[in-house]
Amino acid sequence: MAGLLLFNVWNIVTNTPMVPDQHWAQKIFYVHVPSAWVGFLSYLVVMIAGIMFFIKGDDKWDDVGLAAAEIGTLFMALVLITGPIWATPIWGKPWIWEPRLTTTLILFLIYIGYFMMRSFGGHIERIRRYAAAVGIIAFVDVPIIFVSVQFWAPEIQSHPQVEMAQQPSGILNPFLLSLGIFTILYVLMMRYRIHVIRIINKGVENV
Amino acid sequence: MFFILLKKELYNEFRSRELILSMLVFGLSIILAYAFTSDVSRVIVANYAPGMFWAMILFVTVLGVHRSFSYEKEMDAFSMLIAAPIDRGLIYLSKCISGFIFLTVMEIIVVMPFFKFLLIDFPPNPLMAVGTALLINLAIMAVASLISGIAMRARLSEVLLPVLMFPLVSPVIIAATKISGGIMAGDPYQLWQIWLLIIGSIIVIFGLVGYTLFDFITEE
Repeated sequence: MAGLLLFNVWNIVTNTPMVPDQHWAQKIFYVHVPSAWVGFLSYLVVMIAGIMFFIKGDDKWDDVGLAAAEIGTLFMALVLITGPIWATPIWGKPWIWEPRLTTTLILFLIYIGYFMMRSFGGHIERIRRYAAAVGIIAFVDVPIIFVSVQFWAPEIQSHPQVEMAQQPSGILNPFLLSLGIFTILYVLMMRYRIHVIRIINKGVENV
Repeated sequence: MFFILLKKELYNEFRSRELILSMLVFGLSIILAYAFTSDVSRVIVANYAPGMFWAMILFVTVLGVHRSFSYEKEMDAFSMLIAAPIDRGLIYLSKCISGFIFLTVMEIIVVMPFFKFLLIDFPPNPLMAVGTALLINLAIMAVASLISGIAMRARLSEVLLPVLMFPLVSPVIIAATKISGGIMAGDPYQLWQIWLLIIGSIIVIFGLVGYTLFDFITEE
């Protein structure tokens, strides 16, 4: 995996064309967008795990939900860090309430609340149900948040690279490769984290 | 059954009056704080008024819904309520509608001091302002009742409630500010109708999600 990630960085640095008016700043796009994709994918997994938890009532789904929430929030934090880094040279300001970044920020805050609830909310049986509910509500809220943020400040342009299909293959192929590598990384992280959570839970049960 | 639950909420409040009273006093205190902290030109305050109003309502709502669920904790009334053979989604709907009524009553009382103390002119079309405010109240309560249903039986519910609720309710607050801003400025309906659509979809989506989820959340 480390090799794949290193190859990705090398590929981004050496094999992608320079975008004329953005120069090096544009390179962060190959990390920023895949992070956002993995973050949102992860939160979708939290919602699905929440629904399955309610239907099946099996704690295994809570482990999946927790792992996805943790990893999703990690990648959302990456988006919130890389976004302003990219924005500073391009828009002149680190933060201009761009709709996608704003949606990410709001989701990130919801999940901070989620983790606060999980860590000091009280009895674990109850918290599992509440966490599943928050995971579902948070993802259901995403389209509403996005639409309202978009209409809230319509003068703010979206990301420079909106139409992916219209990108030249020099940009598109390394981007898709990076997307694929991030997704593989996500799957591996999920498997590892679920495994660790189960070991911790077993330890707690045995005490 | 829904009307029995709603009646219970209203009776409870009618006897104690603690919910509306606390919301009202808190609202007035916020207006006072606004008056002292917004010592700027009247034009700026007038432009900012819709945001100030809905921010105040947001704070007041936290107090209201927290109280509405926390008195259920006293003598473990909520356990008895969910032990009753009723559709638990109706508990959510009754909390939502009763909260909507309390919030509306509170707004009716607080709106006059808000405009008078902050020296803001009344909107040119008061009827429209009232109609949209009712819809916004319903949307706020649809979200807030669901979140407080989740947070209230957790530990530190008074912290968790605003932390979870504020980001989730942000689309409602954006829409509310835009609608009220449009009405205050006398903009035509076409300019802010999209926000009414957003408010409407929030009411429907959160109403359905809340109704469905409440059954699972309250399971023992």
